[in-house]
Amino acid sequence: MTTPRLTRRRFVVGSGALLGATAMRPRAARAQARRGQIIAGLSERMLTLDPANHYSISSTSVLRHVYDPLLDVTNDDKFVPALAESWKALNNTTWRFVLRKGVRFHDGTPFTADSVVFTLKRVRDNTKLIKSFVYQDIDDVRKEDDVTVTVTTKRPFGSLPAHLTMLGMLPPSAGGNEDGFFTKPVGTGPFRFTSWTHGDHVELEANAGYWRSSAPKVDRLTFRFIPELSTRAAALRAGEIHVIDRVWPDMVSTLKGTSGIKVHDVPAVEAQRWHFQLAREAGKDPRVRKAVSLAIDRNTIIKELLLGYARPVVSPVPPGLIGHTNLGQKPYDPDRARAILKQAGHQNLTLDFVLMKDLYPKQLEIAQAVAAMLGDVGVKVNIRNLEIATAREQRSAGNYDLFFSGWAHMPHDPDWYFGQWFTKAGAEKMTRFNDSRVEQLIAEGRVPDPKVRQQKYEEIQKILWEDEPEIWPYYSVAIYAVSDKLRNFEARRDYYVLLHEVAIA
Amino acid sequence: MTRLARHPMILLGGLILAVVVIASAAAPWLTSADPLKPSFARRLTPPQGLGGAAHPLGTDNLGRDILARVLHGGRLSLVLAASAVALAAGVGVLVGLAAGLIGGRLDDLVMRLADVQLAFPVIMLAIAIVAVVGTSATALVGVLALSGWVLYARTVRAAVLTIRETDYVEAARTLGAGNVRLIARHILPNTLAPILVLASSQFATMVLLESGLSFLGLGLQPPQPSWGLMLAEGRDYLSNAWWLATVPGLAISLVVLGANLLGDGLRDLLDPRLRQ
Amino acid sequence: MRAYLLRRLWQSAVTLVGVSILVFVILRVIPGDPAKMLLPEGAPPSAVEALNRHLGLREPLWVQYAIFLRSVVRGDFGQSFQYRSPALRVVVERVPATIQLTLAAMALTVLAGVPLGIVAAVRQRSAWDYASTVVAVLGQSLPNFWLGIMLVLLFGVTLRWLPTSGFGGWLSLVLPSVTLAAFPTALVARLTRSSLLEILGQEYIRTGRAKGLGEPRVVLRHALRNAMIPLLTVLGLQIGTLLGGAVITESIFAWPGMGKLVVDAIFFRDFPVVQTILILSATIFVVINLVVDLLYTVLDPRIRYG
Repeated sequence: MTTPRLTRRRFVVGSGALLGATAMRPRAARAQARRGQIIAGLSERMLTLDPANHYSISSTSVLRHVYDPLLDVTNDDKFVPALAESWKALNNTTWRFVLRKGVRFHDGTPFTADSVVFTLKRVRDNTKLIKSFVYQDIDDVRKEDDVTVTVTTKRPFGSLPAHLTMLGMLPPSAGGNEDGFFTKPVGTGPFRFTSWTHGDHVELEANAGYWRSSAPKVDRLTFRFIPELSTRAAALRAGEIHVIDRVWPDMVSTLKGTSGIKVHDVPAVEAQRWHFQLAREAGKDPRVRKAVSLAIDRNTIIKELLLGYARPVVSPVPPGLIGHTNLGQKPYDPDRARAILKQAGHQNLTLDFVLMKDLYPKQLEIAQAVAAMLGDVGVKVNIRNLEIATAREQRSAGNYDLFFSGWAHMPHDPDWYFGQWFTKAGAEKMTRFNDSRVEQLIAEGRVPDPKVRQQKYEEIQKILWEDEPEIWPYYSVAIYAVSDKLRNFEARRDYYVLLHEVAIA
Repeated sequence: MTRLARHPMILLGGLILAVVVIASAAAPWLTSADPLKPSFARRLTPPQGLGGAAHPLGTDNLGRDILARVLHGGRLSLVLAASAVALAAGVGVLVGLAAGLIGGRLDDLVMRLADVQLAFPVIMLAIAIVAVVGTSATALVGVLALSGWVLYARTVRAAVLTIRETDYVEAARTLGAGNVRLIARHILPNTLAPILVLASSQFATMVLLESGLSFLGLGLQPPQPSWGLMLAEGRDYLSNAWWLATVPGLAISLVVLGANLLGDGLRDLLDPRLRQ
Repeated sequence: MRAYLLRRLWQSAVTLVGVSILVFVILRVIPGDPAKMLLPEGAPPSAVEALNRHLGLREPLWVQYAIFLRSVVRGDFGQSFQYRSPALRVVVERVPATIQLTLAAMALTVLAGVPLGIVAAVRQRSAWDYASTVVAVLGQSLPNFWLGIMLVLLFGVTLRWLPTSGFGGWLSLVLPSVTLAAFPTALVARLTRSSLLEILGQEYIRTGRAKGLGEPRVVLRHALRNAMIPLLTVLGLQIGTLLGGAVITESIFAWPGMGKLVVDAIFFRDFPVVQTILILSATIFVVINLVVDLLYTVLDPRIRYG
């Protein structure tokens, strides 16, 4: 039972409850956390209940409780079985999955190979779905028997298992009446869907028949969407919710100073990347890029602005992912930067630094710091903090010199990152990057064999590290704050808030 | 002059505004600190008071002196607000005159146009304009003026409609006075009072609106220290460094106070119906 | 009178159509691609193009508008790009929270602002007057979010008297409505004061005084009624502001209202939701203006429309 709080508060809450009895919409766990229910405050609202129709971290996080994918990724970057007991690449273009037996959907129907066939074919064929483009390389999905599925691909698709960690399995009954299905969806996950108020909160209840006995550990789960960090933190501090994500470094001391709250931080699978527009005068010249890179004091940014909640970059691919390697840290040498610029004849350079408004923590602060650092070596920086839609248009049009962005590797595989930004087709309407060696290596890195992939990715990164088409200032750190009533909470590197095995005291 | 003395509000309001304006204009002489240069070692130092300390009002999240920023920022925010008021008043008065004098379909058209525009939240208009022309001081002034012209147009139009029907104007017309003369001699003097009152309270509104727009990223770009940007940057630090947002907030309050007092006082002074 | 009514109704209809066209066109003309907002940063351009086509955004503008108009007439405002749900449903879901907040804020505005203005006017030039000016200034100039966050920290976190955020129950309405009401209260107080002062100085009031009617009666009966006219105008405008302009308050308090919905939808380029909200709010705005104009005739017999 929860320990009684201040009497005055109980009184007020009690009388509030009396008044609230005539309230317009009674809320169960208003000011006090109840045993058996966890309330999480997420920074990003969920947009859809269809696992194939979004690429948002928040939606993935929430939907993972309702649906299971074929495999999961652990916090130490291992792929582990979920609905698939095992999987294997038979050759460069064929994957075979053996499924778990005895699993049922929330409506009682059994989970079989039919679900897998349906889910995969649906996401590939319905090109209106957001995830569809990822699965276009799938040639055929064949049911061998009730627990075996073979997937053949048009070209090597080594990252398929990683992508599948983000695709919840749907029952074949969803076909034919998708709108109806998604108003009250069923999955095989540890929680059943109860209700969703757009942009406000989602309610889930426990699935007693879940195939893993260690989950779930609470009766009810509520995810509230609170984009304002100060509000999220206030709700946690007031005891109204139990866990929040996306905490900023400056908020940590306040949270640590509140009794009953623990702060967890873990290096994320995300590298910030400021990419150059390679078709413009500044970005075109590798000497300018080198000078800019030398002029940026990454360690000061990490230490002073991010308060240590970031890690120095040693390769574009963060630790834990296949392809990570150690290429040493980039140096800070403003004198050399000045010399290079003088030599290259660029003494009065002006750079347009475009940011997508409110996307990354402290980005505006960091951009201003960078502007000052670059100013020190004679480069004038115009900061353009634009709303996201406009910023992305400007990027496609090439109207920027440096663009503040990041890449969180969701799924846990760098193939997408390389394929999108460092192939001619991918970068055409963006950075205009074009290097045939890199292009070749990326294609070669698509095979399922992890040893081959590691080697290819290391080669790619050596080239990129030297060429510097992007600045990788730091790896992000994911910070969560949790009520100490929660047991077994794991701070994840991929920003997901997963509460399957979390209990509340 | 003695009339002014009987209206302390005007004096007080004018004084407050004058102090703010002069302090902002004299920013480079009042403080030697650089409002733009970061200093990481001195981040978030609390206000140290006025006893000759290096940072009387503290420093912000990049170690910049807040006093310097709020003074330099005043130049930006005040000039922007004043330009916006001037533009809004200019356009509004012209449109109002036209609508009132010419009347008929032009009047209807203009008033419906105003209604249509008012039905749009300013934010949406701001986003649309900024998306097309980008953020700049000019765009900002344009957006601010767009949000304010209707009030002038309506006021002037109402005044014109009233005055148009009065006897002496009828008489003037029969005597052959053209529109221009009518405007100059009879209409404008009578509308001057409400316009001045409106302008002074709108000044405050413009300052607030500029801060709101910069707050949403639709105004000036950092590192310029407009008050709105300072507010926006200070918002994330309210629980651990309250002075970042409070100082520009107080500056805005001072301007609003001065403008309001001035406006109320002017109204008291100039409204013929209040003459005792 | 009837002729005036009919004319105003016609003009209102024209205004609404004008608004719908303007919204439609502005959204599609300004830079910003809905498909790009839906797809992740790393989606190939072919996927972006395909999604735009699916969303019907590659048809010529007038075709899109015709389709839109035809569905609107049937009550179908399209599918929200963000939520993949009918836009009308997404918007209507926000109505209860919005109405609660708006009404509460309006109530506070009138209950606090009008008396403040009356006192300031009746006791002109006194300490009351100046105090009310200061309060009005603070209300107008204190940044919305500053007040909101401070209230949350004080009443929600430190004292734990009130919920810090969210929609549910009377208690959660208190802080957001106080925050939202601060600005309009200040405005209403000033306006009440100046209207009242104007009227108190006028002839027929002086006549009333001369007749020996007690001061309170003079004030309440005659002056206030006439001061209500400009007040009503402002209140009418404020409702529009409150509906669309409550975005900061709604953000701070995670209040699921329409203000935040429309701003989020604009930033996300969720055309159907933006269109739905703007058309609905324009309708409300136009209706309120019409009602206010009609109320004028009730309150001031000198105003008659031909």
